[in-house]
Formats: sequence, C-alpha cells, structure tokens
Amino acid sequence: MELLSHDVLIVGGGLAGLRAAIEAKKSSRDVAILSKVHPLRSHSVAAQGGINAALGNAPAPSKDTWKNHAFDTIKGSDYLADQDAVEVMCREATERVVEMEHWGTLFSRTEDGKIAQRPFGGAGFPRACYAADRTGHNLLHTLYEQVTHLQIPVYEEWIALSLVVAEGRCVGVLGLHFFEGRIIPIQAKAVILATGGYGRIYLRSTNAVINTGRGCFLAYQAGVPLEDMEFVQFHPTSLWGTNILITEGARGEGGYLTNAKGERFMERYAPHLMELGPRDIVARGTQTEIDQGRGFEGGYVHLDLRHLGREKILNRLPGIRQIAIDFAGVDPILNPIPIQPAQHYSMGGIPTNADGETQLPGLFAAGECACVSVHGANRLGGNSLLETLVFGERAGRKAAEHADKTKEVPDQRAFQSHLREFQSGVKEILERKKEETSFAIRDEMKAAMTSWVGIFRNAPGLVSAKEKIKQLKKRFLKVGLKQKDLAFNHEFIQYWDLEGMLHLAEAIVEGALARKESRGSHFRVDFPNRDDEHWLRHTLAFKESEGAKLDYKEVTMTSYPPKERTY
Amino acid sequence: MKSNLLTLRIKRFHKERNPQRWIDTFQVEIRERMNLLEALLRIQDEQDGRLSFRYSCRGAVCGSCAMRVNGKDVLACRTHVEDFSGKTARIEPLPLFPPIRDLIVDLSTFFDHYRRIEPYLHGEPVSPQAEYLMEEEKRGEIDPYVNCILCGICFGTCPAFKKDPEFLGPAMLAKTYRFLVDPRDRRKDEILMTANTQQGVWGCKTVFNCVKLCPKEVPPTHGIVKMRRKILRNRVASIVSRLSSLFRHSSSI
Repeated sequence: MELLSHDVLIVGGGLAGLRAAIEAKKSSRDVAILSKVHPLRSHSVAAQGGINAALGNAPAPSKDTWKNHAFDTIKGSDYLADQDAVEVMCREATERVVEMEHWGTLFSRTEDGKIAQRPFGGAGFPRACYAADRTGHNLLHTLYEQVTHLQIPVYEEWIALSLVVAEGRCVGVLGLHFFEGRIIPIQAKAVILATGGYGRIYLRSTNAVINTGRGCFLAYQAGVPLEDMEFVQFHPTSLWGTNILITEGARGEGGYLTNAKGERFMERYAPHLMELGPRDIVARGTQTEIDQGRGFEGGYVHLDLRHLGREKILNRLPGIRQIAIDFAGVDPILNPIPIQPAQHYSMGGIPTNADGETQLPGLFAAGECACVSVHGANRLGGNSLLETLVFGERAGRKAAEHADKTKEVPDQRAFQSHLREFQSGVKEILERKKEETSFAIRDEMKAAMTSWVGIFRNAPGLVSAKEKIKQLKKRFLKVGLKQKDLAFNHEFIQYWDLEGMLHLAEAIVEGALARKESRGSHFRVDFPNRDDEHWLRHTLAFKESEGAKLDYKEVTMTSYPPKERTY
Repeated sequence: MKSNLLTLRIKRFHKERNPQRWIDTFQVEIRERMNLLEALLRIQDEQDGRLSFRYSCRGAVCGSCAMRVNGKDVLACRTHVEDFSGKTARIEPLPLFPPIRDLIVDLSTFFDHYRRIEPYLHGEPVSPQAEYLMEEEKRGEIDPYVNCILCGICFGTCPAFKKDPEFLGPAMLAKTYRFLVDPRDRRKDEILMTANTQQGVWGCKTVFNCVKLCPKEVPPTHGIVKMRRKILRNRVASIVSRLSSLFRHSSSI
C-alpha cells in the first residue's frame, strides 16, 4: 500500500487553504495542499467587492475602530454570531489586510496613497478595502505567489474521498489521483478542511460549479456535526439568468435598485440604508418586489449604475461591467443591469473555535466551510474574504502546533483497513446496474431547494422538501455508472458529490423546519418574528441513518446584548 | 421558442486507446443565451460521461476552460453557442500543450515558466502596521498586467512559444513587467536581467496575437516592448558613462 505522509495536510486551495498553508509552513514544517482544481481556479478568485478592516482610510466624520466593525458584524448576524470570535476577527483584520498589501496585493488607492475603502451593506463606515472589483482575484493570486515562493507542494486535481479516523483522532485522508484513478491514503498529523461552500445544492447560485461542500460532508460522515446549516445567504444582485455575482460594491459606489415602475423600492424595506442594507433585508425586498408583480417579466429587477458615470464605472467596477456585457449583453454605462437574488454563501458549516479546531482531534477547518461562528444568521459583505485570512492564519498556526506536539505515528493498519473497506464500497457502486442517473436526481434536488428552502420558507414547503430529499436519497442508491474504472470518471465524482449534497440539503431542511422563528437570512412566513427567548441558539445537525438529528448550542455573548434590528 | 440543434465536432484523446486521437460529433439542443461550457456539461451528463474538460467558475474569471473553437482560442464559458446554430463548431484542446485527456492539456511547462520568473513581491521591509503608499495613477498603470488569470490562451496562440518551448511566454513576460513597474518591488535590475534574454523579451515576434486574444485584455506585447526600451536605454546609459570615465581618465594624464 502506498502511503504518503505530511505534518499538515490542507484540503482546499482557496484563500483560507493557502493562508493556512503559509502559516503552517513557518519553521520549515512538512506542509502540503490537496485541491480538486488548480488553486488559482478556486472560487475565491471570483470574489469582487472588498475585504473589511477598520483602517479608517476613507474620509468620515469620525475614525473607524475594530469595535465598530464588531458591532456592525454582530448586529448584521441578527445577534447569532459568537461575539468573542467576532472580536478576534475584527481586531486582527488590519494586520491581515496590511500583510496582504505587503505581499503585493494591488489595492485601489485613496488620494493619500493609502488602501481605498468603500461602503458596503450594513456597515457604519466605508471599510471594505478593494482592488477595483476584482478583490478576490488579487488576493488569491498574491497568496498563490507566496505559496510558490515557499515551495509548498500541491496535489493538484486530487479529490479527498474520505477522512481516516483512528483511536478518536483524524489521522489523514484517502485521496483520489483523478487522472490515474488511484486511491492513495495520505497520513497527516493535522488535517485542515478549507473546501468552501455548497451553493450548488441550489438551482440558482453565484457559486462556481465546483462548490459542492465536500469538506463539510467529509466531517459530517466522520461524526462531526454541522452548525447553523439553515442559514443560507441569498445575494440580492446576481445577474439574471446565469446568476453570476454582481458585487455589493456596485451599490456601495452609489448604484440604485429599481423595479419595473422605476421606484427605488428599498425605501419600503430599509428606509435609512436603502440599497446598502444588509443582504438578507435587500434580498427579501428584491424577491418581494418580484413576487408581488412589480418586477420585470421573467422575474428580475434593475441595478442602475448609469448615474455613476463612465469614468467611475471603468475605474472602480470594470469587472462587473465586463460580466454584464459578456453574459447579459448589457453595458451598465448605458443601461441598467437585470438582476435577481441567488444563493451566495453558506453561513453554516463545520463548528470550530477561534483557532480552527473542530471537535475531532487532529481535524481543523477554516473559511466558508467552517462555522466559528462570526456570521451568525447573516453575513456582512466583505467579512468572508476577511474570515479566510484571519481564521486561515489561526487554523494554520494551531494545526502546526498540534503537529509539533503529536509524536505517535498511527498504526498503518488503520489506513490499510480503511482503504480496503473503502475500495470494496467503490467496487459495489461501480458494479451496480444503472437504473437512475446522478444528474436527474441532482437537478430535482436543486429545484426543490430553490422552491421550498429559499428566501421565504414555510412549514408545508419545508415538509415537502424534506419528503423530496428522503425520496431522492432512496433513488440515489439505484444510480449506476457506465465507466467501471476511476480514471477521469466524472460520473463517479458527480455521484460522490451528490451523496454529500443530499445530506447537506437534509441538514439545511431539518434545521429550517425546526427553527420556528425568523432570524437573519432564515425567514419563516409562518413565524415572521425573531424569538430570542427560545431561539437565540446555534443548531447542530448530526448524521444518522434516518436523517439529520438536531441538537442546540449556546451563543457566546460579550458586550452586545440583542436588540431590535432595523436599518 | 424555436428549437435549434448545435453540432459539436470534438477532438478526443485517450493515451491508452488505439488510435489515440479521433473526432466525436455531438448534438445538443440550444437554449437561449447558452454558452459552450453549458453545452459541454450537458453532453457529459446526458451523452458521454467520459468527455473530459476543465471548468470551475463559469463566469470567465478562473481561467480553467480555455480551448480552441473554430480555430480561435477562447474561454468556453464566455462563448455563446447561438452564433453556431445551424453550423458545426470544431472544438479542440488549447494548442501547443500536450493533451492529457480530450480537452484537458498538460500545463506543466506554463507553470514552470511561472516559477522561473519568481512571481512574488520582493518588497522592501516596511512597518507591519501600515501599508506602502502608492498613487492611484501608478496602480492604474500596473492594473492591466495584474488582471491575468493564467488561462494559457496567449501561449496557445504564440508563434515564439511554438518555435521555442523555453520562451518565457506572453503571460510570464507580462507578469515580469508587472513586478518591474511595481514601486514596492526592489528587484529592478534583476528583473531586467531575466528579461534581457532570447527566452525573454528578445524572443517575442511582436505579432500581438496575445493582446488580441487575452480574455482579460492584458497587453503582454506592450510590456515586452517597454522592457526592451528600458534595457536598451540602460545599455546606452552605461556605454555613455564608460566613455565619459575613459575620457576623464585620458584627459587627466
């Protein structure tokens, strides 16, 4: 049996994974990254608007502080975020952002030559540091340049199929070399999951096609619960049709949202902040306009940037202008952009502390796949790019410490038996007679999630979704594959991903059905108010044979008691 | 809505098969605003699960889906198939890179060249609390060269790379220029030395294919020409300074 070995193995090559690798690599440790695509193709590259830090570079009546940032984040989370973790993130923001600039990130600049910051939804100050509207691209390329400099090896186009757990610890993963079709165990003293979100469970998502939540499912299967899964962020402005992201920064620069009557409808939903309310409120407002017949035929509204002028658009929003031209045939300098809400971010994920530790020793998580929780029930724009760097760094550091302390080498037999068991499972799948196809089941799941577990939820819809997923899980066992070996077997990967997505969908639906209140992005039409007395707590979903079993966990509060949330 | 059929003739490659290369023809029903990547994904789902190609963002920012369509190198996700309705589209892998499987090519040479130019900021030490100061105008100058998504299209279409696989290539020379003009990088002379070779700026044939085809409007040839000028200016300046020191020496005898 071929057995590879590293001190720290990071699954996922996006911002969080690369930042964790850079940190773990200090003191010349043996660190490796495993990614199913080349790191530069990770979805982080698509992030547009900005990364939050209280630098205070933008002209404002008073100086921004990390405490303001923390308050905005906690209020934005509808008071579900763990406040100690939020304070850590906001306190360390400046250091992480300045560090990226020192590594070469080409931020846009103020007149004084400092990093430029723009206003974003739900924020009291302009604190989203931006590189035109290609902030994710700039940050990811900078981190990959550092990874290149440090010569950290990457298992490119390998897929993590399973965690290996022995004696109550995570001791490695089973990796699939996709081009050669070989399953190879990789031993690691610490494994960091940084696999991003799972938007592709939905039909309409801004996420890349590759965002299937693999890391979340790896942990879930290994007995780790998933936290706050019902909190799914719907971004108000995705391009109508393709659902490619149009950054909140467009509204930050002054863009208007208008319905078919030409009204700036956000006046009805967030009279003070208008288009710059937090995302859950703007998404609900936009969807309501569409549902109540004030949208355009086909189900969209307009994002109007014409009044910003040609120069401002070319200077600060060139990326989204190109997206609108390429994918909707619209030049925002001349015409409004057709937009509709779409799934965008997963607030839920693998529960960790502020150092990225999960409840399984040896297993860490950071980035969108983790739930610390800093975003609670709703995430502010600009905080996701920030979380990848802050918690990527902290998880990398903690994982390295853990690796240093771990002296015992796990018994090779644990890997042998796990590999054998796994391979016989794969053989059984490959030999199955084909009665169903993965893609049909996948498409039905996506349609059900979008119809019944979207922006507006109610009990009958959620029950339908729960039933549907149960049926799909049964039909899934009848999926057979044409190709009988693993090399370049896309069908097999689709199948494997689909199993994970069905389970994640189930956890989302169960959490949403049980939570009889509305908070942040989880809106129940039948329970439209926030209920702090019964529901100021995190949901934990555990994998059981009949479905997801739920438990609950306290929210950590420091200095911010829950208040009414208006904008 | 009128139903239209799209015909794709796709060049296949399997190392283990005999013959290794062949062409398969597929037909897909066109939907409004459909792009080529969607068409390929539907073929993979419904008709041939073995058809292999790379993809990720589907929004023309990640660089995964570069391929040759009707002789032109493009990103599949940004190629509208309505243009091909009623006609046949020829799909081939990105040229000048060895194929691994179907439309997936081996980009090792590409990334080897990337590593060769040491593409990370060699910055002057500065206070950890504050950022370097940079003028927005200067940022605007560097920006076109930073937008490269490393998709490989410029290499696939470059006659200099075709002639010499050791040629650093448009994307890497554009990145070389990106660090040269970044005031935070201290390597100025070193960078020009790397560029001042046949594998560097002097190998470029200034045909501007890369400038024309880059999906992100990066202008590698412009950066290459600017570096040539800088190199020549430095050479002239050093000749002048040597001549003038000789002159001073001889006149002091």
